[in-house]
Amino acid sequence: MVVYSFYIFDRHAECIYKRRWLPRPSSVVASKSSRPTSEASAPATAPPAILGQSARTTDDDAKLIFGTVFSLRNMARKLGGEDDNFVTYRTSQYRLHYYETPTNIKFVMLTDIKSPSMRVALQQIYINLYVEYVVKNPLSPAEHPGGVGVNNELFEESLEQFVTRVLS
Amino acid sequence: MSSATKASRIGEELWKTRVDKVNAELVTLTYGTIVAQLCQDYDGNYQEVNKQLEKMGYNIGMRLIEDFLAKSNVGRCANFRETADMIAKVGFRIFLNIAPTVTNWTSDNNQFSLVFDENPLADFVELPDDGRAQDELWFSNILCGVLRGALEMVQMQIEAHFVSDVLRGDDTTEMRVSLVRYIEDEMPPDEE
Repeated sequence: MVVYSFYIFDRHAECIYKRRWLPRPSSVVASKSSRPTSEASAPATAPPAILGQSARTTDDDAKLIFGTVFSLRNMARKLGGEDDNFVTYRTSQYRLHYYETPTNIKFVMLTDIKSPSMRVALQQIYINLYVEYVVKNPLSPAEHPGGVGVNNELFEESLEQFVTRVLS
Repeated sequence: MSSATKASRIGEELWKTRVDKVNAELVTLTYGTIVAQLCQDYDGNYQEVNKQLEKMGYNIGMRLIEDFLAKSNVGRCANFRETADMIAKVGFRIFLNIAPTVTNWTSDNNQFSLVFDENPLADFVELPDDGRAQDELWFSNILCGVLRGALEMVQMQIEAHFVSDVLRGDDTTEMRVSLVRYIEDEMPPDEE
């Protein structure tokens, strides 16, 4: 399986960490019409559409993703009760995995569509990496506006290892 | 099974399997030193010392809750009564190996007391004999802050304060905890 990207959002709805494993293609898909259409003709080897539209920045991606998971999660709660939450959704191009802690920290991972559920993996990232290397780091601030404190070497390296060794 | 017994079991289990132990006297002496230093820094202004302890606790609580959740893997509490049991029987158990009694609920279920039979922070402690500390200093006030910080992170704004302390010659050590409100989810800032 392939992991495309990974995001953490804090309780203030801010993206405090993002990491992409596939480079964003530099050329815009020229034939794209302004009208929203589904990309049926994307070649199988190309990154999925969400990564392919280079007009957007990664910041925009993060905002879009936050909006999506925030609404989906609220909808899941409305329909399924306060404790309900959504776990994953899939498009024809990618699969989005979601894990939220009771402290409202949201972990999001985008993978290819063949990947199994990443819920446990996201929980492991929270417990073994985030809590250990970010929360327990006495020099990092208690909250992380702008990602300060999350982007430390220990966390980034172990995340990299986790994704490349454990998940692939 | 009541939520209190269930919480006791979770606390017991976690204490045995997931918690790294440190020497209790090390904790007691370290904490004592902090309080003593604050008393010195603020020149015996005990109101200010209480305030600083609460603030330190708040910063600890904001982090401690993540460790608590990572260790315990428990979900959201259904109501404030469950929260109280979780704090007393799981939280205090895994971090201080004590389990204060939850009692004195108000009828609206928004306020309770934690009564501490033992308090490792206050072992070996005698309050300064200056005629004021006995009335003004809440020696273990850091705990109030820890609860406030921790619960704020799980969307509960609370207020906590000590109402009695055996160190002051009271019969019990009691902390009063009140739920102020549940905090709504924050929305992302509006796009222009």
